[in-house]
Amino acid sequence: MAASWFRILPAAAVVAAAPAAATVYLSIPQAQAALFPGARFLEHPLTLSDAQRKMISRAAGAPAYDKVQRVWEVRSGDRRAGWFMVDRVIGKHEFITYALALGPDGTVRGIEILEYRETYGGEIRNPNWRRQFVGKKPGSALRLDGDIRNISGATLSSRHVTDGVRRLLVTYQMLLANI
Amino acid sequence: MRRSRPLLGTYVEITADSSGIVEAGFAAVERIQALLSAHDPKSELSRINCLAHRQDVEVSAETFAVLERATHWWRSSGGVFDVVAAGERSLAEARIPRHSAQPRPAERDFRIVTLDGRKVQLAGPACLDLGGIAKGYAVDEAVRAMRRCGADRGLVNAGGDLYGFGAEPWSIVVVDPRTRRPVVDVLLHDEALATSACIDGSSAHLPAGADWLSVTVRAPNACDADALTKIVWAAPANVEELLRGAGAHAFGIRPDGRIEEVGRPALAA
Repeated sequence: MAASWFRILPAAAVVAAAPAAATVYLSIPQAQAALFPGARFLEHPLTLSDAQRKMISRAAGAPAYDKVQRVWEVRSGDRRAGWFMVDRVIGKHEFITYALALGPDGTVRGIEILEYRETYGGEIRNPNWRRQFVGKKPGSALRLDGDIRNISGATLSSRHVTDGVRRLLVTYQMLLANI
Repeated sequence: MRRSRPLLGTYVEITADSSGIVEAGFAAVERIQALLSAHDPKSELSRINCLAHRQDVEVSAETFAVLERATHWWRSSGGVFDVVAAGERSLAEARIPRHSAQPRPAERDFRIVTLDGRKVQLAGPACLDLGGIAKGYAVDEAVRAMRRCGADRGLVNAGGDLYGFGAEPWSIVVVDPRTRRPVVDVLLHDEALATSACIDGSSAHLPAGADWLSVTVRAPNACDADALTKIVWAAPANVEELLRGAGAHAFGIRPDGRIEEVGRPALAA
């Protein structure tokens, strides 16, 4: 007797196509508006020397890959409202871009994942699987297109983002706190 | 809209119609994290682990609800689901820290836990780890908060423990944990789905030597779905009865890739 509440995807319908499409949650301007509504953003990229990256890595206990750290000073009226940083981390299966919002004193105000990309895996190419969304609730706010895949799978640890945030806080201490 | 934040040691993703609803969902998850995280020395769980062997520790309604459900699953599974045994293992394998005021666990069986009113007592030093049930509970709390905000549909996914609600069903794919390839899809409608897999060293709540690659449970709420994945994994003799009693169903992926519903004959892959 076949199960009715779940469907085994025929292997032929699932084309292994690495890397799988990324899930994009927020663009940088959207994340800025969400984390600091109504503020102005002055881009202030930090070019890190090899020595600085080594110091940051050591102090944070987490690798620093990028030579340029993307940073925005956040202004509200004529005062500083905080800092906005965009960073990326590489996990075991995934590649993650995220934004960190800091208050003017360097306290964390929020973290938002901007983009999540599985570095290997399959992509749904099964037309039947996608057809179920066609014609349902036109104009619905939840866009159920091919880009949206809800996955229940092995728990992915967010350790890499946690390490990344620690590194950004060290970067802030070393290079931004006294500006 | 769809947002994701690093919470509960995983990525919590919330899909809903407005940012107010998404924020309400995340706020509920953050509250459960603050209460039940074994990593946070200030959480209620850490207070229990540090103090409850010496004095009663009074806890919030949420913490109490999770401990009551953990008691239910411990009792009904004949001890297979045990957050005290899991805590001892997690500590021994350094997956959770031992805080400065926290004693070394001398006990590894849930029978030392007493719940009375909103008070928790431990008969001896022990370490509870609610990682096998709290994520699911946090998902349920997020859904309750979103509904209180007027949400008529939404999806909350905490690293594989998820709940979807609304007029339209949500399509969920379950992946093979080795290849991350989608192998099954499920339509969810005011229900929870939880998957536990044996990869990435995150199998603290899963008994060793099991014969599944991953187990997926569908249940009326995510707290029970989460706990039941661990119970299905351990396969006590009454597993089918436990699933039925919770209004739940389960399937798993065998090491050879076959997909089997629990309590039914094998299905062709």
